[in-house]
Amino acid sequence: KLGHPSELPPEPVPNYEGDEEFLRRLHHVLLEVEVLEGALQCPDSGRRFPISKGVPNMLLTEDEA
Amino acid sequence: VHRLRSVDNLFVVVQEFKDYQFKENKEDALKDLEDLVKKLPWTDPLKVWELNNSLKKKKTKRKKHNLQSPASREKLNDGGEEGGADQNNANDQEDCAQNPVAVEPAGGQDTEKPQGVTSRNGVEEEEDNEQSDVKAEVQASSESGTKVGDSQTGEGEAKVLRFRVTCNRAGDKHSFTSNEAARDFGGAVQEHFHWKADMTNFDVEVLLNIHNNEVVVGIALTEESLHRRNITHFGPTTLRSTLAYGMLRLCDPQPTDIIVDPMCGTGAIPIEGAAEWPYCYHIAGDNSPQAVKRAANNICSLLRKNESKDSSTALGIPLDIIQWDICNLPLRTGSVDIVVTDMPFGKRIGSKKKNWDLYPACLMEMGRICTPGTGRAVLLTQDKKCFAKALSRVGHIWRRAQTVWVNVGGLHAAVYLLRRTWERAEERRSFW
Repeated sequence: KLGHPSELPPEPVPNYEGDEEFLRRLHHVLLEVEVLEGALQCPDSGRRFPISKGVPNMLLTEDEA
Repeated sequence: VHRLRSVDNLFVVVQEFKDYQFKENKEDALKDLEDLVKKLPWTDPLKVWELNNSLKKKKTKRKKHNLQSPASREKLNDGGEEGGADQNNANDQEDCAQNPVAVEPAGGQDTEKPQGVTSRNGVEEEEDNEQSDVKAEVQASSESGTKVGDSQTGEGEAKVLRFRVTCNRAGDKHSFTSNEAARDFGGAVQEHFHWKADMTNFDVEVLLNIHNNEVVVGIALTEESLHRRNITHFGPTTLRSTLAYGMLRLCDPQPTDIIVDPMCGTGAIPIEGAAEWPYCYHIAGDNSPQAVKRAANNICSLLRKNESKDSSTALGIPLDIIQWDICNLPLRTGSVDIVVTDMPFGKRIGSKKKNWDLYPACLMEMGRICTPGTGRAVLLTQDKKCFAKALSRVGHIWRRAQTVWVNVGGLHAAVYLLRRTWERAEERRSFW
């Protein structure tokens, strides 16, 4: 989803722990890529949380809290 | 010894007087101090000071080596000198509780002496041989960003040393001020050694620490207090890195632990955490945009420091910062191993009144995210009454394991180590 759409499967395959190639890509996306501007999106509600200068803002609004 | 992370200042003790009787009259008291100079066993502490200087000059950016050599070197035993660790604000309790590794007064020192002597020779050899790996490495200076050693000392005793006397005095019944004591003691030192007095460009800093009836004369081994390392952007209540280190140690972080500071302010704790426990993952958060900004800046400074000259990108550090509300943390239940934070005292940040609601809410939410059974929390606060009350309401998820009393900027605060019970947190009707 971060510009690497083709590299990661939509869901982890069974036995993903042993799949080194997958793990490497996952590690890269999780720990080596930093989002500077963008958003995090909740998979359930769809609510987007903006990311600015690398810092996500996850404060809830008055109504949400 | 220089690499001890919870120590503010290091000095070698020349002599310690447990119960010094000050004369009532100021002149007499000061004269006594002056006379003391001649009687003190200066030789060995000065040797230690020299050793320390030569070590500081050899500071390089190489990987850390073991600590054993410097520890033994400090324990020169003539005349009963000891190496001492000192915190500026009389943080005695904190030191004892949190830092058992601190240099101990060496009892039974005979065995240490030959070792001390040989390693000194070792140092002299190494000074000639540039290639050799210096075992003892002073990283403290590099952490705090001060310049290496004192280039003014040059090579050896032939040169006239410059000195200053710093007097720290605490107590009601003294007839003199710290300035007066420093001045007169300094005068005597100058006469005795024929060193030159210089308050700013000095080689030797003589310490005269007077706490009621306890007097300790020492020679400083550190230039700048080590409590500000790793932080460049300060906020109104930035925690001393030394205290942050102590708190983290109390949690006993294990590799792969997830450590969260949900009210991180300028990020002192998570930054110290990421620097010293790089095999854990650290998450910092705060609701205030200013705090988040400062923390982010501090993290950038740290990244820049870690930049290696070969590669174009900096090595990452296992630390992230998020803006969030501690009462509604975007973290899954039971997913965090350690929560460590400096809670708002209610003085400079927040208010005591707000704390009555905040503290219980914090404890509940921290209890939710923390792993039952193995999770732990280390919390610093000065608002002990409020904390105790809040804790009593969450007894089903948190148990108090240990309390350490600390002095934070003159305030009597406490660090509480809590263990998460095995009981699972109820799933809330939460937004998440």
